[in-house]
Parts: sequence; C-alpha cells; structure tokens
Amino acid sequence: MSTLDSQTAASWVDNHGECLYRYALVRVRRPEIAEDLVQETFLAAVRGYEKFGGRSSERSWLVGILKNKIVDYFRKLGRETSFTDMEFLSDEFSEKFVSVGFWNHDFGPHEWKPEPDEVMHRAEFWQVMRDCLSKLPEKIRAVFTMREMDGVPSKEVCAILSISDSNLWVMLHRARMALRECLEMHWFDTPTGGTA
Amino acid sequence: MPDEPYNPSPIGNPSVLARRNWWQTMLVKFIGKHTPKCREMVQILSQSMDKPMPLTMRIKKRLHFLICCWCERYEEQLQYMRHTARQFPEHADQASDVPFSVEARERIKRKLAESAR
Repeated sequence: MSTLDSQTAASWVDNHGECLYRYALVRVRRPEIAEDLVQETFLAAVRGYEKFGGRSSERSWLVGILKNKIVDYFRKLGRETSFTDMEFLSDEFSEKFVSVGFWNHDFGPHEWKPEPDEVMHRAEFWQVMRDCLSKLPEKIRAVFTMREMDGVPSKEVCAILSISDSNLWVMLHRARMALRECLEMHWFDTPTGGTA
Repeated sequence: MPDEPYNPSPIGNPSVLARRNWWQTMLVKFIGKHTPKCREMVQILSQSMDKPMPLTMRIKKRLHFLICCWCERYEEQLQYMRHTARQFPEHADQASDVPFSVEARERIKRKLAESAR
C-alpha cells in the first residue's frame, strides 16, 4: 500500500468505523466481537481495494464486506452450537388469538400510519428498531437479521447455521411476530411514531 | 350463541365483509370455515416471505382478507418490516449512541499500517 493508501485506509476508520461498529453491534451484541469484525472488514477492504471500482459508495462497499464477515462469524457459531432456539419457539403469543384461532380483536394488529419512507429519516425509529431487535434472543436475531436485513436467501441461511427449513420458518415467524409487536408498542402506538 | 366461535368478525369491525346484514354474516361464516384460521394464516404469511405461496392458498388468503383486516394488516406489516430492515445498514449510526472507542480506532489503524508493510 502506498503512503496515500495508508491515509485513505485510516480515513475509512474515521469516516465509516462508527457506522460499521454500530451495525455489527446490533448483530452480535458483544462489543469485542463487533470490534474484531470491523477490523477484519477494514483489513479485507485494503486487500481487495483493487476490486472496488467505485460502482457503489465506499460505505456500501464496506457494509457489504462487513455483512460477509458477520455471516462467516455465524457460520462458525452454527458449527459450534445448535442454532435452534426451542425455548423461544414456545407459544408465547397465544393470548393474541381466541381458542378457535381467530385474532383476539383487542390484540390484533393496529394500523401503521406513517409510510416506511417517512420513518426512515427519523433517528428515533432506528433506535426503537435497535431496541426491539436487541430483545430477541441471539440466535433468533441472527436468523432474522441475516434474512431480512442482509437478504440472504433462506436456503443459504439454513446452510450457514446448519438448521432445517422448517426450523428456519418457525424461528422467522416468531421473530417477525415479536418484532412487529414491539415496534407497534414502542413506535407506531406512540405520539412520536403515530403522528409522523 | 352456539355458532359464535366460528365467527371471525365482530360487529363494527372494519373488514370488507362483516356482520352488517344476514348475507354478509353467512358469507363471513362460510369464509371463516373454509380458509385457514388467523393463527395459521400468520404463519403462512410469514412463510410466504421466504417461499412462494401456492395458487390455491393465494386465493384462500384473498378470501380470508375480506373478512379479516387484521391478517391483511399483518401481511402489510411484514413487508413494512422487511423494507425498513433492508435500510438498516445505511442508518446504523443513527440507531445507536454506543461510541466506537478511540482505542479500537487506533488499534485498527495500527493493524492497517502493519498490513501495508
């Protein structure tokens, strides 16, 4: 790397380090692991800089590398531990439905007023999203974020985490149910969220 | 009322079909009996985010939505969550106030400089 490249790489840390770190932290929760993932991302970026043709922004390119590093981390974790969180799969949402299986109308989904494009520019929304994600058990969160944030195809998620299709679907269903509930309670049903 | 458990549509509910008259009540009960119950429908809706739904189920879903605005909202909200979650990486710095420590920054910069040698 030339002197200029060293400076460029150092400027990445200043310009994008914070964002990458916070993104990683939402995914893995442990600060030391998030820091390691960010470090690996920058090292990989330096090695692969020639391949970066400027087709996307630097930030998007670095986030792309970080996503792969996070997937690698979960792949390793999936080999070491069982990724099926059976405890979370217990039916904790049963009060949402009456005994014959229809919504209990007092607890059914409310209307979400603001359009997604409106909420996306509000820092408070992302803070609520982060808090809601952090309430999910680690394995469920990993499955959900991989599938929904990173758009990893479901077959690939199963392969990465060594889980069956049906376990994946149940885990995703529970994650969506819990996240929906949490966003509704802490954002859409509040004056801040509902009046955007 | 003996048939009450099969009625998914309370009076005053905002679904397209509700118990507004005798015909609608019959229709609501018929659709309620021949389409998946909401508990099952939300699982099917979630699964359809990852795997295409067969045509017959798509038809049942449309019918079910006529009598159940809650399941319809649920599906819209799944899409809403996916749409926003995909934007999360771009907004990660707004999502948290946990600082990226100066020590970690400096350590990474040192590593980058070392790797350049």
